Amino acid sequence: MATPSSQKIDWSPQNWPRHFYRFFTSFKLATVVLVLMTVVTLLGTLGQVEHGLHAAKEKYFHSFFFTDKIFGVPVVLPGGLILMIVLFLNMTLGAIVKVRKRWKGAGLLISHIGMLMLLAGGFVTWAFSTDGYMALYPGMSSNRVESYREWQLEILPLSKDGVAEKAWIYPAENLETMRSDEQRIIHAESLPFDVVINGYSPNATPIPTSAPMAAGVTGKEIDGFKLSPQKPSKEAEQNLPGCFLEIRPRDGGAPIEAMLWAGSYRFDPREKPMPFTFKIGDQLYGAILMKKSWTVPFTVKLDEFIFERHPGIMTARNYESRVTRFEEGQPEKPLEIKMNEPMRHAGFTFFQESFGPSGSQPGDEMFSQFAVANNPADQWPLYSLIVTGVGLGVHFLIMLVNFTTRSRQRHAKTPASL
Amino acid sequence: MTRPPAPFVTFPLVALILASCGGEDTPGLVERSLSESEKSFRIVETSMDRFRYSSQPSAESAEASGGASEGLVYDTPEGWTEKPGSTMRDINFTFGPKGEGECYVARLPGAGGGLAANVNRWRGQMAAAPLTEEEVAALPTRPLFGQPARFVSVDGSFSPGMGSDQSFPDYRLMGLIVSVEAGAVFVKMTGPKALVEQNSAAFDQFINSLTVNTN
Repeated sequence: MATPSSQKIDWSPQNWPRHFYRFFTSFKLATVVLVLMTVVTLLGTLGQVEHGLHAAKEKYFHSFFFTDKIFGVPVVLPGGLILMIVLFLNMTLGAIVKVRKRWKGAGLLISHIGMLMLLAGGFVTWAFSTDGYMALYPGMSSNRVESYREWQLEILPLSKDGVAEKAWIYPAENLETMRSDEQRIIHAESLPFDVVINGYSPNATPIPTSAPMAAGVTGKEIDGFKLSPQKPSKEAEQNLPGCFLEIRPRDGGAPIEAMLWAGSYRFDPREKPMPFTFKIGDQLYGAILMKKSWTVPFTVKLDEFIFERHPGIMTARNYESRVTRFEEGQPEKPLEIKMNEPMRHAGFTFFQESFGPSGSQPGDEMFSQFAVANNPADQWPLYSLIVTGVGLGVHFLIMLVNFTTRSRQRHAKTPASL
Repeated sequence: MTRPPAPFVTFPLVALILASCGGEDTPGLVERSLSESEKSFRIVETSMDRFRYSSQPSAESAEASGGASEGLVYDTPEGWTEKPGSTMRDINFTFGPKGEGECYVARLPGAGGGLAANVNRWRGQMAAAPLTEEEVAALPTRPLFGQPARFVSVDGSFSPGMGSDQSFPDYRLMGLIVSVEAGAVFVKMTGPKALVEQNSAAFDQFINSLTVNTN
């Protein structure tokens, strides 16, 4: 008699959906995924020390696969993204679809739905959330939020006074995928030239060729500077990318070369960005690496920034912002934004994050910086925990009722011993 | 017959292949309007300004007869004028009737590119041919902060760089370089050849007075 393990498996294509279903509803798969998630969480936590928070999140938790050394041996492991997708499929098919539906299992079913909500919330956060900042001096207002880490190339037609009405951007999503040895030729119909980007480095410093450090830097020299690639900072916000740019006029004019560096943007909300400027015909143009930015559907004006220091030292004791929110068709709304008391409006949350400029002394005018988050799933962890908790409560009640019913039945069947 | 691979192997493999797919995305430039707060830019003339290599007032508080900059103590030679330091210069002097002579000290963490590369960078600024590693190793030494520093002296046409196309004929560059893994120190004096010759004793006086402030 053939044992089950020796039975031949039918791998014909018409059976693939069945194999797929069996694979994804397997309890073994859930166990393997949960063990791997523990390993990835451990490596990711340790990896933060070496790579910093953002880079570790990207490498371990926002990836399909990654390589890491375990006891000196390079190992390929599945990333958090694929593990969570597989776990989501496994739980949906195994604990919701495949499981036998009966009243006794209602609590567990609800709990699993709660856990699926948590996983789905994680996916929505990963795919659709944005985070950035808005920095304002008292009296300044803005509806624009800037990214902490993402930089884009902007080409600007400028007036003599340095005013631009519009920009042509090469988006951050494309720019940050460039390798240092890669060249991209970018075309815009409405501009009289093509733009060539090369030598992109996610963190770089321009070094004057007359400076000692330039001796060790290979690569192009432009206008007395070389671009020195740096090791990416553990704090990804501190990275300042750089690249080389070539402007190729389509009328056959001589190409114009430039070096761009993100440090030409601004470190202070009152600073004006400093683009590389060039002329094509009579039109002045600028090219600059700027932070990716987006708008919120209302304007925030900083009325007052209250900043208190501990007596005798420079450390901040308390800081908070008094703002007015302006929105079309709505009355002006004065508000306070403090630590742990954010402003939530239209899907955006403004947290009191920091202040500047760095090194400011008592009496100096200071700016207030808000962290601006937009996460459609920011409340989902709370909802999922409630659903999971309700499910476990229901399961407990069902088990309790079952137990008491069975106990009563047993007592009823047992004759009195006395 | 070979047993087909188990689904535990095949599905992750398929996922791996799918994840590695995807072509190069090379879209063009995207046009957008700028909001009021984004419209204004500062037009600067040079890359020096654009890359923020402007002077810093670090040496403004230096005393008249002697100076101190970021932990350094030194004598200012007679006739030399101390100028503000900068991002790249810890101590900065000019001398000569029109201030055409210059002497500065720069310190860097790490080897700063190495001895030979820096000697030849200086020689390149004077339009002189580069030296071999052996020739660099054979350069004379002088003490600087108690370390043997290589002494460089080159005559030629001086091109300071830093975005300038200017060249100054009949100049002399005199300098000392200490370059070790722990750090690098550069003392460099440039100017018209005759003026540098006149100030060579002042240069020696300055480097001999250079010490680290341990207070």
